[in-house]
Amino acid sequence: MEVIDADVLIIGAGIAGMRAAIAAAEADRKLRVLVVSKTYAVRSHSVCAQGGTAAALREGDSPELHAWDTVKGSDFLADQDVVEFFTRKAPEEVIRLDHWGCPWSRTPDGKIAQRPFGGHSFPRACFAADMTGLHEVHTLYGRALAYDNIEFYEEWFVTSLVVDGGVAKGATAIELKTGDMHAFRAKAIVMATGGTARMYEFTTFSHTATGDGMAIAYRAGAPLMDMEFLQFHPTGLVPSGILITEGARGEGGYLINAEGERFMKRYAPDRMELAPRDIVARAEKRELLDGKGFTGPYGPYIGLDLRHLGEEKINKRLPLIRDVAINFAGIDPVEEIIPIRPVAHYTMGGIKANIRCETPIPGLYAAGECACLSVHGANRLGTNSTIDCLVFGAVAGEEAAKRASSTSLPELPKEKLEREEKRIFDEILGREGDYEVPEIRSRLRRVMSEKVEIFRTGDELEAAVKEIRELKRMFEDVRVDDKGRRFNTALVQALELSSMLDVSEVTALGALARKESRGAHYRLDYPNRDDENWLKHTLAYYTKEGPVLKYIPVTITKWPPTVRKY
Amino acid sequence: MSSEAKTVKFRIKRYNPELDRHFVSTYDVPVRKGMTILDALLYIKDNLDATLTFRYSCRMGQCGSCGILVNGKPMLACYTQVLHLGTDVVELEPLPNLPVIRDLVVDVKPFFARYRKVTPYLIKPEEELKKPEEFLQPPENFWEIWDLTVCTKCGICFAACPAAIDDDYLGPSALATNYRFLRDVRDEGLNERLDAVSETLWLCTSCNSCSLMCPKNVDGSTSVVETRSLVVERGYIPRTVKEVLESAFTYHNPLRTSQAKRLGWAEGLNVKLLPEVGSAEYLYFVCCSAAFDPRNQEIARSTAVILREIGVDFANLGKEEWCCGDHILRMGEKGLFEELAGHNVSMFEKYGVDKVITVSPHCFNTMKNDKPYTDLDVQVYHYTQIIADAIDTGRLKPTREIRRRVAYHDPCFLGKRNNIYEEPRKILESIPGLELIEFRRRLENSYCCGGGAGRVWVEEAPPEKRPCVERVREAVEIGAEVIAVACPFCMTTLEDAVKVLEVEDKIVVKDISELVREACGL
Repeated sequence: MEVIDADVLIIGAGIAGMRAAIAAAEADRKLRVLVVSKTYAVRSHSVCAQGGTAAALREGDSPELHAWDTVKGSDFLADQDVVEFFTRKAPEEVIRLDHWGCPWSRTPDGKIAQRPFGGHSFPRACFAADMTGLHEVHTLYGRALAYDNIEFYEEWFVTSLVVDGGVAKGATAIELKTGDMHAFRAKAIVMATGGTARMYEFTTFSHTATGDGMAIAYRAGAPLMDMEFLQFHPTGLVPSGILITEGARGEGGYLINAEGERFMKRYAPDRMELAPRDIVARAEKRELLDGKGFTGPYGPYIGLDLRHLGEEKINKRLPLIRDVAINFAGIDPVEEIIPIRPVAHYTMGGIKANIRCETPIPGLYAAGECACLSVHGANRLGTNSTIDCLVFGAVAGEEAAKRASSTSLPELPKEKLEREEKRIFDEILGREGDYEVPEIRSRLRRVMSEKVEIFRTGDELEAAVKEIRELKRMFEDVRVDDKGRRFNTALVQALELSSMLDVSEVTALGALARKESRGAHYRLDYPNRDDENWLKHTLAYYTKEGPVLKYIPVTITKWPPTVRKY
Repeated sequence: MSSEAKTVKFRIKRYNPELDRHFVSTYDVPVRKGMTILDALLYIKDNLDATLTFRYSCRMGQCGSCGILVNGKPMLACYTQVLHLGTDVVELEPLPNLPVIRDLVVDVKPFFARYRKVTPYLIKPEEELKKPEEFLQPPENFWEIWDLTVCTKCGICFAACPAAIDDDYLGPSALATNYRFLRDVRDEGLNERLDAVSETLWLCTSCNSCSLMCPKNVDGSTSVVETRSLVVERGYIPRTVKEVLESAFTYHNPLRTSQAKRLGWAEGLNVKLLPEVGSAEYLYFVCCSAAFDPRNQEIARSTAVILREIGVDFANLGKEEWCCGDHILRMGEKGLFEELAGHNVSMFEKYGVDKVITVSPHCFNTMKNDKPYTDLDVQVYHYTQIIADAIDTGRLKPTREIRRRVAYHDPCFLGKRNNIYEEPRKILESIPGLELIEFRRRLENSYCCGGGAGRVWVEEAPPEKRPCVERVREAVEIGAEVIAVACPFCMTTLEDAVKVLEVEDKIVVKDISELVREACGL
């Protein structure tokens, strides 16, 4: 197996990964920074981010106010020291992207424009129309090409982290084009692999957002934190699940039920449609359960009404939304209401990391959606994810560079590499098992959608854990029907499924254990927040027998928990 | 919305790299309303054949992973609904112009390698980048560049681009990105950006395929023209380009020929001249190539003979006919174009011209679409429209048999730029004995001959990198005996390619006017 040396190895090439690469490359132009990703860089799921990127840029706003909004939005589960740092660093990241050429939408006087977003008490969402993520990704990719010490290894699927003696030393990856496995050895490794919501049937996620990075870090001994907090976005386009940005409501769009009522007045009378996502998604779900949804061929739905915004505003501020609504639902939002319902959208949890993006494994860093620092606590505010990727991508890159500058290249234990090659090619690819990937995958998605959704109960969660474990046993006997080596996407799908199985198990188990309702985690059998017993983070550690859960306290600096009303 | 499924056959071109084997697989897919090509591919992979290999990710047109050929046209699998295609059989192939890795997956490295040659970020002095505030950008400037910024680098333009067969050409996506930064008021890299492209952007033929095929409506074609205009303004242009522009300036035609010889094509025809007769129902506008090039004079002559047979009252401008300027405009010389077009417009005004018949799709295009021509109230016709109408109304009867297999090559400036696809085909179908066959790449997906935007005069690429050679190869493959064209520049490039490929014994290039003249015994 060929071994490729890196000073800093970055796994994932979305916003966080590429921002980390640039930060590391800038920190020391002599460092060899490798970015490894399973898709081409500009194909990452980050391109799907639409509505905006939060930063306190203007008078009347402040990092403190942004921090308070974030903490309150998180239902007080966010670590407040991290949040304060995060909102302080946000403005410089937005400006940096402007300096690199990001086409931010503009105010009449030529400055970066901002719009309102849910849970934010100031219009602080910077945006590039409704294609913010696309432009951030392409700006970062373009800029990354300026550094000759950044190299991209695109369409390389990382299968495992090599942790030896408790230290992260490298990774193994399949080069899809040839089908060969290679090893990377690195002084520092940054995980920036994104979220995992493809384990749901109805999701905004790209097909490729399958939680691989979380799973391989977890298996290598890094704990996953707060995985039970999975965000359901209020506006997923029916039937595809494609995201309709919260910016549509930020620009003034209404949510209506079949009676034409703006029902949010009964749930969040002050903020209405711009209450945080957990609250709006629950309200929609209630309406649907109460039979107040519109009837459609794909089940009941809620209406997102933009008609009163007018064609010009829709074209200028929400062009992608118009495009996808026409293309995927046959609906022109200028003339008709958009059929939507709550949709799996974001993983608040992730690989546990501290304010310097260090995981508990020395040499391993994490940033972006795959990480949990915790900025978002139990519920993330819209536009806080892209800025999270930028701020902590930069931190992870700088910290990794620091470590790389002061350590030498480790030796990789040969037997671990050989074992991994055997696991992938002899066991998973070579096995003539009884079960096929699509079968296990669709059962996983069904159980997650039915039993680990917006409203949860102990009984259902227990049943979910049981079924996921059964699916994991089936996976031990899975058969990949494509035996070729080169560009074997069937093998990739199998590996992605195994990621989703592990992450789903942690999610369901964490949800079963957490006997309270907080943010996105809502238990019908425990409908109240319970600060006395549950103001704490869940940590899930990998063992062969299944996740072992531990808990650590939440860092409170300025804002003790209060009643959360909007 | 109905949930009834309809069975659609997917015929997919495949490649197994381990066996180095090309083959075709066919699958029956139950298709429901709203199902995309990508949904169908995923259905096949999950239910029928796990080995089928294709790329996909966001499934909403943003990531650019899933570009493939669908019924011969490059498009995103996720952005295309199966039922919208309206065919019971859907043919899928990997994108052309890029090496195939496996099945529908192509190696996009060459595409990104060319993208890396432009500087895809703001060029600014270091100290400017340290400023803690944003650079100001008026909203008008933001909107000027916005449409170009939404490029996802899916590579569809590159696959559609005839010039991309030359490694030197950076491709529409890279050039659109370069131009987007040239226009961005925050950028200070004018010279650097022009240097990066000024030698090679002349390879673009303005065929418009990139702009037509782009799933995000990024106008690569216009970006190239606008960039050329900046290059021309700066003055460092390749010698060959310079010669063409100088000729058009000095001689009022790009062929370095005295205008005194402009009527060479009309010898012995007694064509009426407007400066002599004062007026006629139609102005017959011949175009420089058909006026001066001995081979193409045949086209002007045939067309004139046919027009006379139909009874069209027409006259020519004689020496007062200047180059229409279409190529010149698309080479970026806006000032010279205005001068040439301005002269023609003044002649139109002087002689009260209100109907024009053009030989060339290029004259047709610019007179129909570009100022100052469009300031006049003039009806512009391509000669194929007039002939098709005459055949339709019985004023012209092709009676003599032409027993040949004829493939019609859509000229870009007639088809893709002006949506004239039917008339030339109707004419050919009316000729007895003639068997009309179609190129694989046809209609709005037609493959450019490589002659547009002045390239016909500045071509220096080796034969294997010329689009015309690629096109004649396709004609040979489909078994054509005649390539029918309706544009003098297609004639020049394709005849050249027939010679390069040494297939003169198998295939000839004929203008539609020549075939009609023969079929009518004129």
